[in-house]
Amino acid sequence: MSENIKTRFLIICVICSVVAGITGIQMIRIQNSEAAQRLLTASETYQGVNRIIYPDRGNIYDSKGRLLAGNETSYEIGLDLNSVTNAETVASIAASVLGLDYAQVLGYTKIKPGNGNPFYIVLDDFVTKDKIAELETIKADYNSRVGKGNVILPSLDGLIWTAHSQRSYPEGTLASNILGFYSYLDRTDGRGYYGLEAAYDSQLSGRPQQIYITYDPQRLSTVEEVPPGASLVLTLDREIQAMTEKTLDEAIEWSGAESGTILVYNPEDGGVIAMATAPRLDPNKYWQYSQLFPDPMPFNSAISQTYEPGSVFKVITMAAALDSGLVDPETRFQDTGSFNIGGTTVYNWNMGAWGDVDMTECLQYSLNVCMTWLATGMGPDTLYTYFKNFGLDRKTGIDLGGENHWPLKLPGDNLWYEVDLATNSFGQGISLTPIQMAMSIGAVANDGRMMAPHLVKAMIIDGKQYDVDPVVVRSPISAETAHTLTDMLVTSLESEASNALVEGYTVAGKTGTGEIATPYGYSSSETNASFVGWGPAEDPKFLVYVWLEKPSISIWGSEVAAPVFSELVSKLVVLMDIPPDTVRLAGSNITAGQ
Amino acid sequence: MRQERSQAYKQAPWRTQIQWVGGFLLAVVTVAAVAGLYLSISGRSAATGRRIQNLEIQLSALQRENNDLQTLLGQIQSEHALSERIDSLNMRPLTPDEALYLEVPGYIPAEGPSLAPPPTAREERTPILLPEFTSSFIEWISLKLQAAPTNSSPTVEVLP
Repeated sequence: MSENIKTRFLIICVICSVVAGITGIQMIRIQNSEAAQRLLTASETYQGVNRIIYPDRGNIYDSKGRLLAGNETSYEIGLDLNSVTNAETVASIAASVLGLDYAQVLGYTKIKPGNGNPFYIVLDDFVTKDKIAELETIKADYNSRVGKGNVILPSLDGLIWTAHSQRSYPEGTLASNILGFYSYLDRTDGRGYYGLEAAYDSQLSGRPQQIYITYDPQRLSTVEEVPPGASLVLTLDREIQAMTEKTLDEAIEWSGAESGTILVYNPEDGGVIAMATAPRLDPNKYWQYSQLFPDPMPFNSAISQTYEPGSVFKVITMAAALDSGLVDPETRFQDTGSFNIGGTTVYNWNMGAWGDVDMTECLQYSLNVCMTWLATGMGPDTLYTYFKNFGLDRKTGIDLGGENHWPLKLPGDNLWYEVDLATNSFGQGISLTPIQMAMSIGAVANDGRMMAPHLVKAMIIDGKQYDVDPVVVRSPISAETAHTLTDMLVTSLESEASNALVEGYTVAGKTGTGEIATPYGYSSSETNASFVGWGPAEDPKFLVYVWLEKPSISIWGSEVAAPVFSELVSKLVVLMDIPPDTVRLAGSNITAGQ
Repeated sequence: MRQERSQAYKQAPWRTQIQWVGGFLLAVVTVAAVAGLYLSISGRSAATGRRIQNLEIQLSALQRENNDLQTLLGQIQSEHALSERIDSLNMRPLTPDEALYLEVPGYIPAEGPSLAPPPTAREERTPILLPEFTSSFIEWISLKLQAAPTNSSPTVEVLP
């Protein structure tokens, strides 16, 4: 090899080395430049997406496992502007199938995506499966067509639908006052309102999780499962709830009442078996709420509306009097027809004097004067201590959203007067919700133990069912007092041949007619008619509380609320498989054959 | 010896060329083999990824269908729907005096329903992507070496 060639090779080698070196340096510089970092950051947005996964909202079942609230699929329909190939077809089908405005949809399809314009436009949401099936049929038909020459084929390309969950209440208005509703139209910030949907909102909704979904198939791995929200199993029985609602609606119509409430409560464990109020909302159409419940009408009067219960309250006063040892069932009282207290004279409901009566007759004839005598005999300290022990000064804590209570006036308060001792003893001047009444009187039906009212019997979390144990709130009276009072109330109902009696079953109960306070004093023409009763008397399985607001057919609880109790209980015993006294007391281990 | 080899190469210069060509071909084959292996693993990894995606889509579709069927069942068995069917069959609710009660010795009334799915053996989730697809070559070699049986660890027969 000559020197000349060697020199040439050397020059070429040097040039190649310099070019390679410069290229290498440039590569390193570019890779470490700010622009490269920006590019790297920008590229990450194309590699995957951070997505918040909202778990399916938990279901709600009745005590027998029947679905009261669940989820179903609905669809969001949108336009992928990059993929639209035939704008007219898309607009036409969106108008004919979905009822959208043709011109508006056509306008959307003309938008050039990018440069500040969206790539995707939502056309409609919560579209039903039927509509989607219709769209799928049309799309399949269009896709099967083959064009010839320059014929433009119809196409739904660019019109896309995405499935998502929607809250559903298959029973419609049934038990809606208990369930509440979930604002499912708000897909990101929806929440439960009223009832169980509000009280258990966080448990039902579960924990939304943010996960990263990569577009790179090589980096894919299993996405962490997002468990659904907790499901609830209720103490409520759907059949009994339906029967109670029907009975209430008929009672309101028959009595001309403005509204009403019926509670069916298990005094043994505090479980609410049925809770009917009027009116009721279809939670599938929750946006009708404000039309159906103009302010200040409560969503669920059983827990939210306080009222002066009237004579049904005498059960509590008599319980206190018996338990404190002031009287026993045979104690005699001379009823003169009036009682003066704190400068005010208290009269009986008929302004009459009933003469020599025992304590059972005090209840049977519902004597205000007798109750005032008992209240003064116990004194405010004892009586109000019992009231507090019965939980009348606070909410019951029932597991429903929207519970209300009226503060109990106590001796020493500015607004408490001596006459309140008398009026409170027969259920006037004291405001309570039906659930407060049911809980406190439930103690009389349950050997003196007052149970916490509740709706949820069990929760299903991560595939496991957890039972909720009943809670004893307190024992305001002894078991002996409870049995004695129950016997007295059985006797008083039977002695007066009450409209509340149920053929074949022994029940205990008390009527109530509460006058309604107006700005001009108490109205005698407008009343709250109530009845509280429980049975079977020797081993109560149910407590029923009936309240009809301002009935027009009669003002008396004994004529309006008592028959409703009787009618309801005659159906209830069949649905609860409770045999009549003759069968039940003859032996145990009885089951119903229907 | 060295002189003889030098003589042989001088007489047949194509031997040198063959050496160069052979070396080049060996390098090409090696690069192709590594590239092929890499491509194969990448392809299988990508296919597995797609399978995961499809299974997850399928899973959420099945979950939605399950919800839909539950709701549909709820609607079909709703109190309103059943009442209509009862009316159409000319049936009516039982009255207390029509009920027949039988004594069943030892009968225990049914408890409330258990709506949670029945307990099953807890299934350990096995990763769909095998370590071969996620570990480096060195990691893979060391994994294989660790897994290889040694003389110091005799096989033990485990009786059931």
